[in-house]
Amino acid sequence: MTDKLKSTLWPLSIGVLTLLIWQLGGFHALLDLKPFQLPVPTGIASTLAQNLTKALRDCGITVSGAIVGMIIGSSIGFLIAVVATVFPKWGYGGLTVVSAFNAIPIVALSPIMNRWFSTGMGQKIGVVTVVTMAAMAINAYRGLTDLKPFSLDLMKSYAANRRTVFFRLRLPNCLPSVFTALKINITSSMIAAIVSEYFATSTSGLGFGIKDNLRKAEMAMGWSYITIAALAGIVLYLIISMVERRAVKWHASQRIK
Amino acid sequence: MNAAAEIQIESVSMFYKDNKGNDIHALNNVSIDIQKGEFISLLGPSGCGKTTLLRIIADLLEPSMGKVTVCGQTPKETRMQQKYGIVFQNPVLYDWRTVKNNVRLPLEMMKINKTEQNSRIEKQLELVGLTNFKNHYPHQLSGGMQQRVGIARALAIQPEILLMDEPFSALDEFTREKLNEDLLRIWSKTNKTVIFVTHNISESVFLSDRVCVLSPHPGRLSAIVDIDLPRPRTREIRETPEFFSLVSKIRNSFEGV
Repeated sequence: MTDKLKSTLWPLSIGVLTLLIWQLGGFHALLDLKPFQLPVPTGIASTLAQNLTKALRDCGITVSGAIVGMIIGSSIGFLIAVVATVFPKWGYGGLTVVSAFNAIPIVALSPIMNRWFSTGMGQKIGVVTVVTMAAMAINAYRGLTDLKPFSLDLMKSYAANRRTVFFRLRLPNCLPSVFTALKINITSSMIAAIVSEYFATSTSGLGFGIKDNLRKAEMAMGWSYITIAALAGIVLYLIISMVERRAVKWHASQRIK
Repeated sequence: MNAAAEIQIESVSMFYKDNKGNDIHALNNVSIDIQKGEFISLLGPSGCGKTTLLRIIADLLEPSMGKVTVCGQTPKETRMQQKYGIVFQNPVLYDWRTVKNNVRLPLEMMKINKTEQNSRIEKQLELVGLTNFKNHYPHQLSGGMQQRVGIARALAIQPEILLMDEPFSALDEFTREKLNEDLLRIWSKTNKTVIFVTHNISESVFLSDRVCVLSPHPGRLSAIVDIDLPRPRTREIRETPEFFSLVSKIRNSFEGV
């Protein structure tokens, strides 16, 4: 218990200290910044409080795009992994192609998707889908095929067919890898959604809010959006971690000391 | 040929190419008759083909030449009727299943009803002394305990033949000797035919009715040694002159090691 307390207390106190230095002008002195270049935390907080409704609405738009895109992208990725497992000969090639998608930068993807979809939401979902496919495909494939030695022999000795091997062995075996992919994807889907909004024609979402306010030198408002985006990312990550802890409590990474 | 033998291994040879393309002559013309209820060890250094022979009997491999008859039928027919209980070099427990559900796995696949499943699980876990650990996950058990679960799982399907592939080789000497005694106790209660692969001479002498000594390059049968030590055997028997003379007799029967 004391260890747990320590591991929470340390990062927390460092965070508080950072905010305090920031508030008292430490960073401004260090980097020679004026308050209009870098607003202080209380300034950001009060601006955020005044515009909370709008900020939360924009946050909702970005988060829903990120989540829907992540669900579609992760599902496609998982399906590709399953195909690659069941038909190794040509499935593996598909896996390579998907990994190549991963190399396309979001800044290139966003304008392309802008042409493909007429709505901002469609574009957002499109970008996030492409960005999240590969991580899931590669991780899930590993989980489906990286089996303990002799576990296939064991199944064979029970006269198990391929279907049984898939559902009793491969599927549960890949669960930890699926959660690894989801944790990667929840973070990258937020980044992808925000960046895609930079290039979108629509005027909503956290990405547009950050871009627009910084462009207009509304620094406090811009920072409010940055804060909201960071908080949303953390909350989504924590939700996935919580589900993971319940779903794969048997796995090494989840063992409670 | 003894027609009453439960397992007849007739002139079995095995050739294959290793992953560098070299021809491997794993087994050369091996013939052994194994009686029902017998405890047989396949003993030899690595490369002698003992595991290959076990896998051929289990129908996890097909011999290049010769044939194996089990209960008057092919190994495949025997495997499809789930008459083999196999214990592998490592326990091959499924991490996501508790101890009792690992033992349940083959029973589910045989579509045995729930009540019967539970009673068999209770019985087998009691036999291997793990009743108090039935709700634990594999990672919470020691290596020796995990291998006991593997034995319980192999026995739960009530196999005709128990095939054990160096089941205790990864364990320390103390645990190994303890499990040897436990195995004999379990075997005396079930009277299965056991084929036990090992590279440990004293283990094979302690356990077996007969020891088949295999020599490497190519893997061949160099001797079959009758172990006429009285049963039930306890740890004291390891200290007797008869035990030592059998151990040295076997040690001297290896060719070309």
